[in-house]
Amino acid sequence: MTPVRTAVVATGQSDHGRRFDASMGEIAREAIDRCLGSRGLTFDDIDAVVAGNMEMFEGIYLVDQYLVGALGALDKPLYKLNTGGTVGASAALACYHLVASGRHKRVLGVGFQKQTEGSAQSAITTVGDPVWERAVMAGAIGNFATMASTYIAESGVTPEQAAKVAVKARRNACLNPHAHLQLPNITVEEVLESEMLAYPIHRLDFCPSSDGACAIVMAAESIAADHAEHPAWVHAVATSHDQQYMGDSPKRLAVMRSLQAATKKAYKLAGVTDPRHDFDVAELYEPASYAELAWYENVGFCPMGDGGKLIDAGVTLIDGDLPVNPSGGVLSTNPVGATAMIRVAEAANQVMGEAGEHQIPGVRRALATGYGGNAWSDVMILSRELPATAEVSA
Amino acid sequence: VAAATDTWIIGLGEARTAARRDDVSITELAWEAVEPALRDANTSLPEIEGAVTASQDFWDGRTISSMSVNELVGGVFGSEAKVASDATLGLGYALARMEDEDQHLNLFLAHAKESQGDIHTIELAAFDPYYQRALGPDDTVVAAFQAQLLYAQGLFEPSHSARVVAAARAWSSTLEKVSPQDVLDSEPTADPLRQLDRAPLLDCASALVLADGDNARRLGRTGVRLVAAASRTGAYWSQRPELHTAPEARAAAEEALSIAGWELSELDAIEINAPYAHQHLIVGHALGLGSGEELVERFEGDGKGPAVNASGGWLGGSAGSVAGLHAVVSVAHRLRENGGRGLVHATTGVGCQSHHIVLLEAAT
Repeated sequence: MTPVRTAVVATGQSDHGRRFDASMGEIAREAIDRCLGSRGLTFDDIDAVVAGNMEMFEGIYLVDQYLVGALGALDKPLYKLNTGGTVGASAALACYHLVASGRHKRVLGVGFQKQTEGSAQSAITTVGDPVWERAVMAGAIGNFATMASTYIAESGVTPEQAAKVAVKARRNACLNPHAHLQLPNITVEEVLESEMLAYPIHRLDFCPSSDGACAIVMAAESIAADHAEHPAWVHAVATSHDQQYMGDSPKRLAVMRSLQAATKKAYKLAGVTDPRHDFDVAELYEPASYAELAWYENVGFCPMGDGGKLIDAGVTLIDGDLPVNPSGGVLSTNPVGATAMIRVAEAANQVMGEAGEHQIPGVRRALATGYGGNAWSDVMILSRELPATAEVSA
Repeated sequence: VAAATDTWIIGLGEARTAARRDDVSITELAWEAVEPALRDANTSLPEIEGAVTASQDFWDGRTISSMSVNELVGGVFGSEAKVASDATLGLGYALARMEDEDQHLNLFLAHAKESQGDIHTIELAAFDPYYQRALGPDDTVVAAFQAQLLYAQGLFEPSHSARVVAAARAWSSTLEKVSPQDVLDSEPTADPLRQLDRAPLLDCASALVLADGDNARRLGRTGVRLVAAASRTGAYWSQRPELHTAPEARAAAEEALSIAGWELSELDAIEINAPYAHQHLIVGHALGLGSGEELVERFEGDGKGPAVNASGGWLGGSAGSVAGLHAVVSVAHRLRENGGRGLVHATTGVGCQSHHIVLLEAAT
């Protein structure tokens, strides 16, 4: 069948941070209530629910089923996707496919995680092969220390350039009432003097561990305008993976092959030929400062090796030509199950003109990416324009 | 409500199932299912446009459990998405990916290597951390509560469940045969359950190749159509006073049958998948297949209508996340040979919280 044109019509986020005041279900519900409440929707309007959460990261197994009431999924189909850091974006993509296929008209996506109740790094360590990788690649920091070391050697990017990304993120976060790390006076020097976690990653080069949730509603063309004055239309979605073992993928992460493959597919579908100028804003999933610089290159915002030059030129600052992560990004907020869905929601908010103090003027087209697992990438392109063709996935 | 689909099951494959497959990694185990499915479909990985997989994290000792398999389902620089549930729910998502023309040739895989997980620890984590976990419960404890409630209604008794186990083992090509008395004499686990009431933990994998109509015809594999999928989720077990019922199974079946335009009486194959024997009686009753002796005889192949669980089902040798797909593979083989229509049910969650239904039909 011809796919149904589909849009994000509502978003909501909890307040992110160390949420000792609320349970995991309450945090998820905070995001859902803000999402549905913004459009006068109720659970009765929702046909199916897609949950994104990393199993056991807060010590709960089958957390979607445990929280079925809070998620509004009683007597409905409840899909749980579980794809690592990408999970929030994977859930958003699932919302898209469930609507575009004609199976449902309104689908609620919810990403959530309460990391203060678990040991995410212990769980992430099991990403690695138990024999070959686990002993030397514990947690996410080890992976990105390897990435950053490789990236420095390959591109000549400097710690100062990476620190500029860290500063940008935390200052942008001050304009986002939901963000976890809001550091208005942060400086490059402060980043470089912060604790060394694993060379060359300083504490302020890395994302926090947050409690939080994000919710979105995707709707079919026939009803999208009933819910949003300017729906954020999905113009392209794509997923790509790399190989299972880091050793199979030379320059892995520094050269993010899956992100290159996914954006290539998505750009073709959406008619993007000059990503540096065809997008008005981007929300990239950057777990570390160095990653954002590398992602600039891998999504085609600049030639390979020039990521540092882009931040030096101020292009990706909130008042630059192509703002990246005006929300504060992952460096400011990282509730794993929600993190990639936040990228989609923030991109949608920019397109809908509803991003509040961090709204970029005149956004017509936005890019959102998710990162996770063994270098997986999810990509979604959102636009204020209705897609000319309904074929937007790959 | 979605319309009936034009999606075809064109390739079937399964790994060798055993209690411990120490001879293979998770990746190799899954390939044992994928390779024959591709061969059966007359296709190869480069033609596959995307994959959907089903598995649960940590059951094989690892987070993001599909990392072990995405390179063998075409996911390297291609697309793979993992649904953390029984494969029958995942098939609903795969159908969506086909129906919106995202994929025209899809590889669907479910895998589990339960011998590598610490199952009690995982199951314990499904319980409320403040009010329940300190008591050390697991799925068997809730299943026991459920069985007590069921038997108290008077429609079923433990001997019925024992006969369901014996029937499953009789159909099984994996597990040794047992008698109903063997089940009743096996080690008590949580009153009134016995060890043999629970499906054993196994290492296994099952795979399908799905194709749209054009590709199915191109590859000469228009044997079985995947007609409909539906799912419903109920409340968490402790918030379900009527834990011995499964209205969600009935609702999902009614939706799927409505999409297909079929009646329950028109089915030639029915498969029910749950980890404990008495849960098959609960679901069978909810689906309208009868109660008491009448329903038990359906599992034994002696009742009115087609046998229920002629594959042996989960009790006859499969695993969490895989069980529904194992049944789909079995039903698809039978429909290829004999024609007709089939229904496959599977459940996810503590005390059967979610119920999923898929419908299949042989080409006429």
